[in-house]
Amino acid sequence: MLTGSQILCRALLEQGVDVLFGYPGGAIMPFYHALPEFPGLRHVLVRHEQAAAHAADGFARASGRAGVCVATSGPGATNLVTGLATAHMDNTPVVAITGQVPRAMIGRDAFQETDIIGITQPVTKHSRLVQDVEELADAVREAFAVALEGRRGPVLLDVPKDVQAQKAPWVERGTAGPARNGVTAHTLCDEAARLVAEARRPLIMAGHGVILSDAYDELRTLAERTGIPVITTLLGISAFPESHPLHLGMPGMHGEVHVNRAIQQADLIIGVGLRFDDRVTGNLAAFARGARVIHIELDPSEVGKNVPVTVGLVGDAKTVLQSLLHRLAPRECEAWRAEIRAFVRPRTDAFRGGLSPESILEAIGEATRGRCTIVSDVGQHQMWVAKLFPYQRPNTHITSGGLGTMGFAVPAAMGVVLARPDEPVWAISGDGGFQMNMQEIATMVQEAIPVKMAIFNNGYLGMVRQWQQFFHGRRYSATPIWSPDYVRLADAYGIPGWRVERGDQVDDVLREAMGRPGPALVEFAIEQEANVFPMIPPGASLSEAIEAETATA
Amino acid sequence: MTPSHALTVLLEDRLITFNRAVGLLRRRNLPVHSIAVGPTADPGVSRLTIMVNSDDDTARRAAQQLEKVVGVRQAAAFAVSDAVTREMALVRIRARGDRYAELLDVVQLYHATIVDDTADTVMVELTGSEAFVLSGIRALERFEIVELARSGTMAMEVTGHASRVPSTVT
Repeated sequence: MLTGSQILCRALLEQGVDVLFGYPGGAIMPFYHALPEFPGLRHVLVRHEQAAAHAADGFARASGRAGVCVATSGPGATNLVTGLATAHMDNTPVVAITGQVPRAMIGRDAFQETDIIGITQPVTKHSRLVQDVEELADAVREAFAVALEGRRGPVLLDVPKDVQAQKAPWVERGTAGPARNGVTAHTLCDEAARLVAEARRPLIMAGHGVILSDAYDELRTLAERTGIPVITTLLGISAFPESHPLHLGMPGMHGEVHVNRAIQQADLIIGVGLRFDDRVTGNLAAFARGARVIHIELDPSEVGKNVPVTVGLVGDAKTVLQSLLHRLAPRECEAWRAEIRAFVRPRTDAFRGGLSPESILEAIGEATRGRCTIVSDVGQHQMWVAKLFPYQRPNTHITSGGLGTMGFAVPAAMGVVLARPDEPVWAISGDGGFQMNMQEIATMVQEAIPVKMAIFNNGYLGMVRQWQQFFHGRRYSATPIWSPDYVRLADAYGIPGWRVERGDQVDDVLREAMGRPGPALVEFAIEQEANVFPMIPPGASLSEAIEAETATA
Repeated sequence: MTPSHALTVLLEDRLITFNRAVGLLRRRNLPVHSIAVGPTADPGVSRLTIMVNSDDDTARRAAQQLEKVVGVRQAAAFAVSDAVTREMALVRIRARGDRYAELLDVVQLYHATIVDDTADTVMVELTGSEAFVLSGIRALERFEIVELARSGTMAMEVTGHASRVPSTVT
């Protein structure tokens, strides 16, 4: 006979789990009591449960496996919510295990009791209160199956303290049911192939689904066989090599002007694994009015949700692209590509001073020779990191896209390091987002997790300040933000830290930071009022960009 | 506004599954008109009927989203015009003495039944389409309605229609 806690550990090992991010507390103590008996489960003690959820999310994004986080009942569980919502919006497989008060206490407003199932229902793919130890092992199996199958997402298991202590025999798993995956009708693929053959101004828009289904080769073959230019959305960045001649860039609110103009001029858009988010489309009524749309998407309820679709191909991006490729004859799009090239504006230097975000990102690219994963936070730097870093390898850009969670980068990067221990991982944050989860430096030190941290410090909550500048008459309300002395902060945690103020310091500091084992922190003092250009005002169409010249004129 | 579409959902008869399905309707901001739920011939499976005012697309998407809820076996959307819809009302009425005969006339006209008859009040059971039930209730309003309970509408698609709103895009 095993205790519920032992069953839980064994079930996690059965699912191939080798690392958990968590924080103990009253209602999860039986689980933590059993944990040392299972040395195959490495536990990373975070400094705040939110970080556990983000780290599990980062681990999942980098590894393609489910990330696991653990918290106690009540405040422990509620602290996970932002991380679960982040994973939910970006379809990341995360399994959260929370302690709950003993069954007899549920519903009595017991100490540290909270209805975490009720709280997390809208931000998880599934959640379940385990009512008896007999169902525990299967509940874990179900949680991993649901998290990973079809459109991925977070799952929460709430385990009452007395269920963790209950005893039961270990029961081997039964045969799992087949995963549900949409099957696309052949006639629809034929129709899609016909649209591709007929189109004169076609575009491919690639999203996160390409990365999640590992469809890089298929995407590249599609582009190269047809000559159709490729746009990558924020979460689709690195699904297609940045340097490829067919790569156009990022669309939407901060997309390049030529990318958005191409969308507005297109007569066919092939959307692969994206959901036509409002940050991508701008004003829907004015989005790509001349274009027919082929939407390749795993989740049938996404097809036609935001943008009218001519042909919806429901299924895994890799499988659907393969069947589409069987039907596509080689073609070229030279005239159309020349037309798009004419839309390209030379980048006017929007940055003042010798320390531009662009030069920093170039230097990081050179210092790592492109062999690194970049985890970004949310705000202005997120857009610079998305647009200015030369991603060449798949899935090397990790960011919170859908929820836009500040404070994501530092803890998520810990998960990325554990999934990819052999290459450098840079967590790039602004001074605002960094201060939201900077307590995790302690976790990195205690657990020897070598995250390299870069802070783009402009003394402002920069993106909000930029909106205030453009849309709120420069009233910088609550956006100036004070920072501690980051070099001394690093020192207090016992890690190396540098402050870079001039462009000529960048290369040396990066080389040193990369050369030192363990975590390191580099603060870049960038221009205070640097802006992200171009910018589509919220609610406007993709044709109405604010550009650097017009803004400074 | 009378509802335009019915969503029928077969789901595990557990409160948490019902909670998830209804929570989804709220999150997606669906124009819900009524909800009815009850057991099916399948042990452990309930049938939920949601009447909505929407276009075909919104109704179909709602069914697709409901099908993603763990514990939902099947969800379908169809236009009210393709279905038989029924609801039931229990109406408690104060109508004694000289108006009792008049009440019996109304009851007969609406094929209703008197299910409880006390010294003070009469309970009437009324069944039919929503419009029919509403019309019956209006007819009963000439007496004093003391209490009213309506079941919400159940719907079942009539067979032989080719115009079903498909629940999957393929």
